[in-house]
Amino acid sequence: ILEYRNGGSTPQGKKANGDSFQRNFGNGRLHKHGGCELLPSHLQEDDENIEMRNVYEGPQVRQQFSTLQPPNRSIELYNECQDRIRCKREMEKKMQEQDLGCWFKITIPHGVKYDRTWLINSIRSHCRVPFTPVDFHYAKYRAQFFVQDAATASALKDVSYKVCSEENRKISIFVSPSEVPYSVKNKLKPEHMEQLKLTMKKRYNISKQALNLQKLRFDSDLMDCKVDIILNQRSCMAATLQIIEKNFPEPKLLSLNLRNNKLYRLDGLSDITEKAPNVKILNLSKNELKSTWELGKVRGLKLEELWLKGNPLCSTFPDKSSYISAILDCFPKLLRLDGQRLTTPFLIEVEALGIIKPCKESYRGSESLKSLVLQFLLQYYLIYDYGDRQGLLNAYHDEACFSLTIPFYSKDPDVISFWKYFKEIRNIKKLKDPDLRAQLLKYTKYEIVNSLSVLPKTQHDLNSCVVDLCIQTERMLCFSVNGVFKELEARSQGCVRAFTRTFILTSGNNCSLRIVNDELIVRNASPREIQSAFYISMPIPFSSSLPTISQRQQEMVQTFPSQFGMDLKWSQNYLQDNEWNSIMADQVFAELQTGGKFPKKGYKQI
Amino acid sequence: MRRHRREWPQEDRERYQGRSGHHYEEPHSSYSWRGSRGHRSRHDVVTPPLAEHTTAGSPMAESVDFKTYVDQACRAAEEFVNIYYETMDKRRRALTRLYLDKATLIWNGNVVTGLDALTNFFEMLPSSEFQVNMLDCQPVHEQATQSQTTVLVVTSGTVKFDGNKQHYFNQNFLLTAQSGPTNTVWKIASDCFRFQDWASS
Repeated sequence: ILEYRNGGSTPQGKKANGDSFQRNFGNGRLHKHGGCELLPSHLQEDDENIEMRNVYEGPQVRQQFSTLQPPNRSIELYNECQDRIRCKREMEKKMQEQDLGCWFKITIPHGVKYDRTWLINSIRSHCRVPFTPVDFHYAKYRAQFFVQDAATASALKDVSYKVCSEENRKISIFVSPSEVPYSVKNKLKPEHMEQLKLTMKKRYNISKQALNLQKLRFDSDLMDCKVDIILNQRSCMAATLQIIEKNFPEPKLLSLNLRNNKLYRLDGLSDITEKAPNVKILNLSKNELKSTWELGKVRGLKLEELWLKGNPLCSTFPDKSSYISAILDCFPKLLRLDGQRLTTPFLIEVEALGIIKPCKESYRGSESLKSLVLQFLLQYYLIYDYGDRQGLLNAYHDEACFSLTIPFYSKDPDVISFWKYFKEIRNIKKLKDPDLRAQLLKYTKYEIVNSLSVLPKTQHDLNSCVVDLCIQTERMLCFSVNGVFKELEARSQGCVRAFTRTFILTSGNNCSLRIVNDELIVRNASPREIQSAFYISMPIPFSSSLPTISQRQQEMVQTFPSQFGMDLKWSQNYLQDNEWNSIMADQVFAELQTGGKFPKKGYKQI
Repeated sequence: MRRHRREWPQEDRERYQGRSGHHYEEPHSSYSWRGSRGHRSRHDVVTPPLAEHTTAGSPMAESVDFKTYVDQACRAAEEFVNIYYETMDKRRRALTRLYLDKATLIWNGNVVTGLDALTNFFEMLPSSEFQVNMLDCQPVHEQATQSQTTVLVVTSGTVKFDGNKQHYFNQNFLLTAQSGPTNTVWKIASDCFRFQDWASS
């Protein structure tokens, strides 16, 4: 019969134990020592568990029992057997209660700022005791979790002010005793766990590595066995994730469907980043999620496909694109939302390049800066030339500006060929009306992209481009691109123009670069410029109606990501969306083959 | 009713330009906003005080704000371009006064940073004769400039150095505002100049 020092233990428990003790040994010699009792040594060896649990008791208590001897051996032997059985049963009961042991709540103020995995790993690296955070969740801006024993709690307290955030702030950790966390308190009974496991296995599609937990509470099997799985409850969600972790090891779970489970909080689901980190498809449609704040709790997942339709949060957005923007902020690599393929993810990972920071040695920074600008231009013009220009929406800041000018000289022979641009030309040297000046300056990304979509289709020759990097600060990158492009419209087929385009990019909060200013000058290319451009010979076009991916296409898809850090799947989707337009695709492929690098002599930087 | 200016055929546009040229291309028009003429240098690019950035407001108020920025930017750009090229042509030694201490110039790909280097560079550059016939400008979003009012100015035209062959050029500037109570002084933070036929020169 065991009892543990428990902050919340009731006097009743103690009393009952005391009675049975007296009954067994018939003497009043033994009384509780500070509420802790141990089994006599001759019964101890039967249960190793007990040994372990004794860890917290002081040595002096243990010694007390070695003096115990039963008075009458023969009768006692029988009683001992009975006792052993009874003890085992009580032990099991105690073990269950034992789980309720000594819990401590660990609070990290402003914890919501930090990436969960990074935070836990950083604390782990400083903590002398290994620990598992239980029921990790956010309360307002604090991050909180539970640990089970005093030693761990104390070790964690010592970690306070030892972990440094990226902004060089010391993270403080507060520790306080607490009640048992929900997932432990309401832990599922073993037989319920077993039933849940069977049900989940039934709902698992092994070929697609997809687990369908739609409307789980009303699953017929579970209801027949009277197992109530309410996924909103921390304990049920924790049990589900635990089963996923243990019983669906290989192949790893890729798709999880939690549709129609009345979920209003995703705190419980946040452990999924540890238990099932490979999930790429998540269906949370028809739940009760009220804001994207909830989605932030599963931000650690690298989702490719997400379903959110039918949640209250969907109607909180004024329009579809702000909805999509907000979701992309959470899951930058998302390819599909609510079944719809998203426009190209135009994000360059600034953090990875680590350059938009005050650069003391600008020379050292220049390689990564070059590569950044190169990546940007390739992505930008890939969409500009070969895709739907609406896809550039993600490249622009919400409040970006764009304007276009064409310098006309009276001697210009071919002015009329620019007729497609006439409506957009903004030359404030000649244009004095302030209203018109404002009107011709395209403002907001929508206006800009609409305006760009109307301009003639083009094909830029990025190989002969020259880039001047004007300014690089913590928040701003300004550069000018000089080059040539071909116009691909019917009338002006093959007409080669020269352009100078000045971009100003800014880095946003989620480390993505967006264009804030875009100024384009278009003019006719000089004969020399035409001569030195487009020197890549056009390969023989192949039929684009082939149903299967040809060898060539496969090569193309594979070259994309290795050189430019674009996702393989994205590039495949992208090319597919453009119906593998043979001529264009080959052009791009050829340019990529030659490294797509700017001629060294033309590339200058600060 | 006369068609809109931008729909006019080329000749008409030039005629208009010729007419309006009187107003805006004379150097002294740029002094019209100066308050007290006294001690202020002729070489500074000065405009009226900047509009306050109002944070509150209905969408209507916001669009008015943006237009104000556009107007402000245009005014600064015009004022600036007049003074800059005139100074470059006729008072070359005073040109560096228009630049910030840490400004950078990229001249046909050559990088020149800091006032000393700029002074040397402009001294070495032969005498110039600029003719600007295209000007465009945009207010730069404050997120990029961390609330330091900045204008992007882009120009194009022709230039002759030392009376030699005429080159077509493109140039862009980033101007930042240094606000005072009665006026705003604009300085060049970056200057990027390139001949259109840079490859052959």
